[in-house]
Amino acid sequence: MIQLHRNQSSTRDVRIKIVGLGGAGSNVLDRLLLDGIQNAELVAINTDAQALAGSVVTEKVQLGRTTTRGLGAGGDPEVGYAAAEEGIEEVRRALEGAQMVFLCVGLGGGTGSGAARIVASLAREQHALVVAFATLPFDFEGKRRRAQADEALGALQRYADVVIHFENERMGDAVAPLAGIQEAFAMADQTLSQSVRAITGLVRRRGLVQIGFDELATALRGGGESGAHCVFGYGEAEGDNRAHEALARALKNPLMDKGRMLEDARNILVNVAGGPGMTLNEVQILMEEFNRHISDQSRLLFGASVDPALGQRMCVTILSAVDGEVPANVELRPRPATRVESSPASVPPSAPPPRVAEPAPVLRVVERETEPEPEEQPAPRPAVREAVAAVARESAPIFAEPAVEPEVAPPAPKAASKEKPTLAKQEQMLFEPVTRGRFEKSEPTIVDGQDLDVPTFLRRNVKVK
Amino acid sequence: MGREQIVVGLEIGTSKVCAVVGETRGDGTIRILGVGQAPSRGVRKGEIVDFETAGKCIREALVDAEEKSDVMIGSVYLGVTGSHISGFNNRGAVNIPEDRDEIFDEDFEDVQASAREVSIPAPNMFVHSILQHYYVDGQDGVLNPIGMCGRKLEADFHIIHGVATRIKNSVRCVKEVGPEVLDVVFNPLAAAQVVLDQNQKSLGAIVVDMGGGTMDYIVYVDGAVKQSGALAIGGDHITNDISLGLRIPMAKAEKLKVEEGSVILGNARPGETIVLKDETGFAGKAVEREMLNTIIHCRVRESFELLKKRLDEENYLQFLGAGMMLTGGCSLLKGINHLAEEVFGLPVHVTHAQTVSGLTSAFENPQFSTAIGLIKYAEAMQPAQPVGLFKSLFKRIPFLGLW
Repeated sequence: MIQLHRNQSSTRDVRIKIVGLGGAGSNVLDRLLLDGIQNAELVAINTDAQALAGSVVTEKVQLGRTTTRGLGAGGDPEVGYAAAEEGIEEVRRALEGAQMVFLCVGLGGGTGSGAARIVASLAREQHALVVAFATLPFDFEGKRRRAQADEALGALQRYADVVIHFENERMGDAVAPLAGIQEAFAMADQTLSQSVRAITGLVRRRGLVQIGFDELATALRGGGESGAHCVFGYGEAEGDNRAHEALARALKNPLMDKGRMLEDARNILVNVAGGPGMTLNEVQILMEEFNRHISDQSRLLFGASVDPALGQRMCVTILSAVDGEVPANVELRPRPATRVESSPASVPPSAPPPRVAEPAPVLRVVERETEPEPEEQPAPRPAVREAVAAVARESAPIFAEPAVEPEVAPPAPKAASKEKPTLAKQEQMLFEPVTRGRFEKSEPTIVDGQDLDVPTFLRRNVKVK
Repeated sequence: MGREQIVVGLEIGTSKVCAVVGETRGDGTIRILGVGQAPSRGVRKGEIVDFETAGKCIREALVDAEEKSDVMIGSVYLGVTGSHISGFNNRGAVNIPEDRDEIFDEDFEDVQASAREVSIPAPNMFVHSILQHYYVDGQDGVLNPIGMCGRKLEADFHIIHGVATRIKNSVRCVKEVGPEVLDVVFNPLAAAQVVLDQNQKSLGAIVVDMGGGTMDYIVYVDGAVKQSGALAIGGDHITNDISLGLRIPMAKAEKLKVEEGSVILGNARPGETIVLKDETGFAGKAVEREMLNTIIHCRVRESFELLKKRLDEENYLQFLGAGMMLTGGCSLLKGINHLAEEVFGLPVHVTHAQTVSGLTSAFENPQFSTAIGLIKYAEAMQPAQPVGLFKSLFKRIPFLGLW
């Protein structure tokens, strides 16, 4: 999928463009400028003209001059999508020449969720490596936004090479509960900014031990194709104990969950960087301690670099993807693929992201097909039909690949509604029936609502290999 | 030199029933003559669930004890436990009648009765009222008010109560087998008599008896019992967890826990396995040591955390100068004192019965702490002078020092 022909020596000269899409994306760009980023071009893309005007970034693209008329997408991904389609040429121009595109977007709203897939696919068209950094909304933002975000994430995962997604909720954990909401959102921006800078640094710095793009992509992909949960940690420290401190800070990152998630990761990317005074000993200390947090099975991709700009500081970046439960309602819709490849003018309105009727999980998309709309479309939309049929057939909606299926359109939607999705809830599945073993016949010991006769390691989901 | 008396302590535990025959001399020392035990069936979480089977096990244990000590057992002190037993503190007060101002013995009984006038749940009965402090006319720190003048006598008691039917069940079960039950004692109270010395009691200490079915605890602060209770989690739960987690039968799990179990994580070399031997000697299943330790660790940690929660309710943890004494079968798990230290933040010692003489193998085994403690308790209940046994048992004047 990605071109592997990047030679290590010219890594430093790679042209990187960082694109901030939508309101959240622009905030991240502003944060990046604040934190300082070198050798990368920043592009802000938005439907909201006012927000664009307020951004400090120099290169801006306004989407949807006629669709939204500078007023924003109103939290509706379909509007965002339409606006992006209108501005396709401008976006293409803005991305031109980039070899690596970092797409920063906050999912759940209108512009980000709707346009992300278009921007990503445009970048792909240019043979750039697309790394997307996406945030998923807080729980308090409501189920609808969440559903929109998940859907957009799924689509993005198909069009970007690598998607690093962060849940705002997790970042909220890192902020004190009494902190203002500004801080919570600012935390999100900070994390994104850190990760963008970390990866840019990885790519840019002349490393002693170099990490190449392909390794980067492998680490961030995870093993399976069903998308992975990203684990990111960044820590910086100075002083006597900086190796230890930096690692501790990196692990403290809320997206790292104190290193617990690392145990499940298969490929982990670690980059240690420091000023010229960094010693081998320090690197060793750091890596030894780090090794205690990972399993023996995981593949460690280690990179080290010396950057005079860091001075006394030592920093460590940890990146990985853990094969995890994809949020059950992620569906990959191949429709937009056909959308972009064909001429933008012939866009039937039902192509954009499915209207989120209600936040019911998997059933949602399938239900959509029972609406009469698809049937009204003229026959030459085989991609759509096949997608529908494929979705209906496999109740596991992980890959709704446009398989070459015969036209089964009319019965398919009905079949879809009858089929029970087997993937309803993936969160907590006990692999054995809850059993009390020896205590089957005695009075249960219930403390604080928990049945203590059930083994502790089962109740706490402690991993026992 | 006081009268020597044979006392038998009987503990009907979840993993074993044991009867300890001891000789008490009036000076406070105890000599162990023999220990009889039998594996216990029909008891779960410290309570009898199968009457008949439990009776058989009790008989077996008593017969064993009789053989080993060469003594005929006619009466026992019975230890009871179970999550239904709990303790709380209450103050009793009594006004000295106007015609005298000296405090007499009757006043103690009145004060005790007054302390018991608190509502306990309907199905419950009192098991112990343990004296904590006296107050005479509001004056604190009175050790022995007999003969003192005062208008009002108050006393703080620690009251232990439990479901009457369950306790009576145990008593009946023993009676069916034969011997008389002289008194019913809450297990950790008995264990504390032989595990703690007076100094430790004044410094403040907690005794935790981790047995097969329950985790019993009793807290001493300034020499007085302040908190006690029992959690229905024990070694059985650990074995159950191992059995379910490693998918091996209970018997093997028990053996594994006893022989190889450890609470410490990260100690095993990665991938180190234990090979379970079959009865025929052929190597059977191999289990990872780290997995075993993880399962045990989780369970024990959770139990300790639950206990800590209970202790935090009354907040005596900070007053425990002598720390925690762990006893009972589970205290033999490797590394358990470190885990306890981590959870409670107290110095933790794994101990067994002290201040006894006689059969060394008996008292150096923490599994027998409770049963031996029953003997010590019996001894403490007897007066120094030879008085009629029954009369003295019920009219014992509780001096603080002896508790």
